[in-house]
Amino acid sequence: MTVHLRGHSTVVERSGDGALDHLRTMIRALPVPTAPLSFPSRDAALGLALMDLSFRLDHLPRLSEHLTLMDRGHMSRTISVDVDLDEISGRLGETLLVPGGTALWVPVSRYSRRDLAPVVIRDSNGDVVPRLSHRDANRVTAAAFVKLLFMLINAHDDVADPTGPIHQLRHTHQRSRWLIEAAITELIMVGAPAGQRLHTPLDHAAGLRNSHSVRDLALDGLDALFPVGADDQAVPFARLLQLAVRQYVLVAQLGRDRPRRFLTWEAPLLPAQHRPAPLRNLAKNVLPVNREFVVEYETEIPRSVKAYHLTLEVRQEISVRRFVMSSNVDEEFVEVLAQDLESVARRADRLGGHHKLLELEMQGIASRLAELGHRRLVDLAGYEAYLARLPIPVGPESAPPPARLTADEVLTALSAGNCSLDVLAAFCAHYAADGLQHLAKSGLPGPALRNIAAGLRAAQAGRDITTDNDPREHGAHAHWRRPPVELSPQSTEPVRVFAFMALADEAPALIESITRMVAGLALVVLGIGTLLSGGISWLYSPAIPEGFVPDQADAVVAVLLLVPGLLLARLDLPSTKSVLGQLHKFQRTLAAASVVVTTALAIVVGTVDSDREMTRLFQLALGVLIVILICCLCEFYARRIHRSCPVPRSSRVPRWLRDARRSTRPVVEPDDFFDARGEG
Amino acid sequence: MTQPMNSTKSSELARIAAEAAGTHFSSVEFTLTHGPADAPLPESIVDPDKEDPNGWPTDFCYFSAAGLSMSMSTWPSVMSAFSGRVQIGPAEQTGHGDTYSYFGHAVPNPGFLNQSTRKVEVLITLGTAHWSPTYREALMQALVIEKLTALAAERDAPVLHLHTPVAPVPLSIKSERGDGSNERLRDAIAPCLRFSIGVDPQMSESRLDFETELAALAEEYGFGLKLNDQRFNRVRGEWFTIRGFDRERYRQARNQLFPAAPASIPKRAVIASVIGPSRTGTTAAAVAALRERGIGVLAASISSMRKTTFINLVLPVTAEVKETPPQWSGGWLDALPRLSACAGHQLEVADQPLIADWKVAVSPAMRCSYPPSSRQTGATFTGKVPYPIWLWWQLPHRTVDTPTLLAEVQAALQPHARRCDIAYAQSRLCRGDVVRGRAKLVVVLSQEHRDHTVVQRLLADATEAAQLRIRERLPALGQVDPSKIRLRLSPRERWLTYADISA
Repeated sequence: MTVHLRGHSTVVERSGDGALDHLRTMIRALPVPTAPLSFPSRDAALGLALMDLSFRLDHLPRLSEHLTLMDRGHMSRTISVDVDLDEISGRLGETLLVPGGTALWVPVSRYSRRDLAPVVIRDSNGDVVPRLSHRDANRVTAAAFVKLLFMLINAHDDVADPTGPIHQLRHTHQRSRWLIEAAITELIMVGAPAGQRLHTPLDHAAGLRNSHSVRDLALDGLDALFPVGADDQAVPFARLLQLAVRQYVLVAQLGRDRPRRFLTWEAPLLPAQHRPAPLRNLAKNVLPVNREFVVEYETEIPRSVKAYHLTLEVRQEISVRRFVMSSNVDEEFVEVLAQDLESVARRADRLGGHHKLLELEMQGIASRLAELGHRRLVDLAGYEAYLARLPIPVGPESAPPPARLTADEVLTALSAGNCSLDVLAAFCAHYAADGLQHLAKSGLPGPALRNIAAGLRAAQAGRDITTDNDPREHGAHAHWRRPPVELSPQSTEPVRVFAFMALADEAPALIESITRMVAGLALVVLGIGTLLSGGISWLYSPAIPEGFVPDQADAVVAVLLLVPGLLLARLDLPSTKSVLGQLHKFQRTLAAASVVVTTALAIVVGTVDSDREMTRLFQLALGVLIVILICCLCEFYARRIHRSCPVPRSSRVPRWLRDARRSTRPVVEPDDFFDARGEG
Repeated sequence: MTQPMNSTKSSELARIAAEAAGTHFSSVEFTLTHGPADAPLPESIVDPDKEDPNGWPTDFCYFSAAGLSMSMSTWPSVMSAFSGRVQIGPAEQTGHGDTYSYFGHAVPNPGFLNQSTRKVEVLITLGTAHWSPTYREALMQALVIEKLTALAAERDAPVLHLHTPVAPVPLSIKSERGDGSNERLRDAIAPCLRFSIGVDPQMSESRLDFETELAALAEEYGFGLKLNDQRFNRVRGEWFTIRGFDRERYRQARNQLFPAAPASIPKRAVIASVIGPSRTGTTAAAVAALRERGIGVLAASISSMRKTTFINLVLPVTAEVKETPPQWSGGWLDALPRLSACAGHQLEVADQPLIADWKVAVSPAMRCSYPPSSRQTGATFTGKVPYPIWLWWQLPHRTVDTPTLLAEVQAALQPHARRCDIAYAQSRLCRGDVVRGRAKLVVVLSQEHRDHTVVQRLLADATEAAQLRIRERLPALGQVDPSKIRLRLSPRERWLTYADISA
């Protein structure tokens, strides 16, 4: 089971569980083969083609995900893709050809090996599309890696050096190469989930011979191919192997006669990753805070996807109060920009000798900063429009007027590390108006650049925002489009998408019914007390009215038991497992408490015959009911605060958006977090 | 923070491997032709009757300078077992008397990943006069190439391309319009060198160091230095001047370094093509070995195709050497004595282990010719000035091959031009099964005009008319869907880029 640490964007790798470490362990553990593993060259070609296509998935122009919150803790996903077979180049197409037909094997997705639920792919007619079995996919992947290793050995610089391990692996000591190949095959066939040390029989044996020439040469060869010391993640082969042992490829068989297809399938059910925060949960459940149920969802989409739709559907009783999606599509661009800024800052003195070179660097940086400002401003405008069209307005004070800055003010603000949207947008305007032509002479080169880099990272300027455009209250839809100009054009790094959803109980809400019920019960208690004492003086006067104990106690008891029972029966209280149950937890407690009060009062009426005690207990019951009523009113107030919150209080919402809306409140953890990234 | 290049690099590795290991292919086959510049372009080997889909070359490259030309094309090959990394031998004569063809195989190097790199393009000015290099200048040029490529090699940055001579860039004047419509027309060829290297975007420090040292080098030798404009939304062909050309310092440096080299213009030259698996530092090693033996470089064209590097050098033959050996191909270490013989020296210099396994194809000595005129030499008065025209195209693979397309372009420009030569052309098979290419043509207009604006209008009209004609002809030529043809001819390089293709 993978442990995703929040705040970190990668799976935290423990030392010793990289793919190459696993490979080394496997080399030590496997018996030395005496004959080569032979894979047909067709398998290797197919495996390499599948691997290539499955990483880029550039034949999928559109991707849609439909999320349904089953209950608290489980989410079902329906994935639909548009496939365009014309995007697959001719030579790859020939390799992918299913023998004896015109159909192609086409990878459509990658999955974590943990999710081994059956997947049924259907096309637009509802017909089931044949799939490549998991075992076959693993076999061709293993063949692909064996071939890739052979190609890397063949093309290595030292292959011609007869004393080097590479030459020996290639020509003279083939058993060592077979051993590496066997280890790769074993690793891919069995798989090795993230975060685990590979468990091999070696762990159970003692007194083993440490040195074996075939094994040693295999390990030396591996070190020569992929030098030790380099970060495991930085070696492309290691990264490929890591993905291959952690994921499997979903491959569908599609006919070439219809190059444009629509496929849909139910992805394996996604469990929530619960993070126990008992105190916070308790506070949410016992305080009148009108709790929202916050769900966060994270997934990865291929960078080449042109459009991505994320839709959410919940029960009709639940309203989607906020739905915001954020992707890190420009994060790589920002990181490269920040590194450029830091490098220029470190070298400002050396570059200063070549004035024009420094100017070129500064202009390059300025143009990218300006583009970034432009993009985020477009995002912000979209977000403002979203807030404006919400059914319940966020509040008039929500849009602070933008500060207008001169070129000098912008440079001063930037130098101080202020990369807020106001500053970036003003910078963009000044850059577009050619107002920043001589940056090398400005005070910017130097430590100020480091501040800008830090400011950009802190503001999370590489994340964009897409908002909900579904008019329904119990559904949401966000449509992400790939930016028209890709800022990191060569990258094939998948785009990470975060979605924030706040689910709430909006009017007509349960709390309104409960408030009415509690008010009703308070009136009943007040009425009975008033009728028994013959006036309302019992409410405030210290004097004990005569004859408070009713003559016909049974009738009063009946009223006190029947009325709350009838009112409670009218309320539709949900089960505690559901999301609605979670939303209503406190309100259900209020309803129960008011019934407990009246029931207790009924018992009192039936058993107590002292006027004094009866009066005091009536006063107490009324007091408790009023407290409950105040709690109900607090819930209304809390709901209002939640509704008027302009920016979701989530760490996944980019910092620049929170800053732009002057949101200073601390972020809170979501109630449920679903991680659909396949790297587990 | 993730290491953003991880997946990019690994998916690039997967792509290279998948392309290299198609069902039937395991190596790259290539042909190489040396010949005079006026020889027809090498004919396509595709036999339309056979319809062999793999008969279409994936990459093509052509370069001509000093009256000599070299062209290369590659395609996938079934051959898998041969000794070493590259194999080369003379091909059967194609019928043209003066052309020399070679044929070979190379193992692609999947470890050479450069798709994800950021390109830094450099334009070096080695003179402002018209291009007629002497032996001394050839040596100086060799030195400059060696120094520049060594700077890149120190930082493990691959040289993506290098060409000399190329079109110079006129100094821009502030009052000019930003779209370049009023800028001075460029010369077709000048003593300039253009090269690009790929730098990992994550390693901005090495890029900055490279640029700083480049500027220091320019200061030392006095050559002019321009870098590609790295601003966002700037395209290829837009330059940022770092240093102007310092004639006096350049002359001093040249005369000091090579006092003995003759200041005459070479009459004959050999073409040497050094071929091997792509690695960093190879160009520097090859040119350094030649320069140590007293061989200069008259013209050069270096490019990588399918992870195999082709270093094509035009080497001047000393006037004293009357007889040069015939067409030859073989290993790099065997080639060095032969090349030294052309230069009239027999120096014993240590070998270069880096490219010891590379192969060389050497043509016999051929007669050089130099462009008779340029704007700077005052030829404007005759009006017979060669102007550059740039071409960019994208066509579906296996429809029209590059030599046919280039011949078509030449034919389409014929009504407007007295002469139309191809200075440079390169096409590659890209993702999505399309062939993308760029070319530079040199035209001498049939109408003689001295007036700048009139010439500009004539060029614009000629390119537009030719563009239309080619678009009409291409569908008939290769049964290609007209909607998939994209082609643009322009007298300005930076106008080539289509809106949806970012630089």
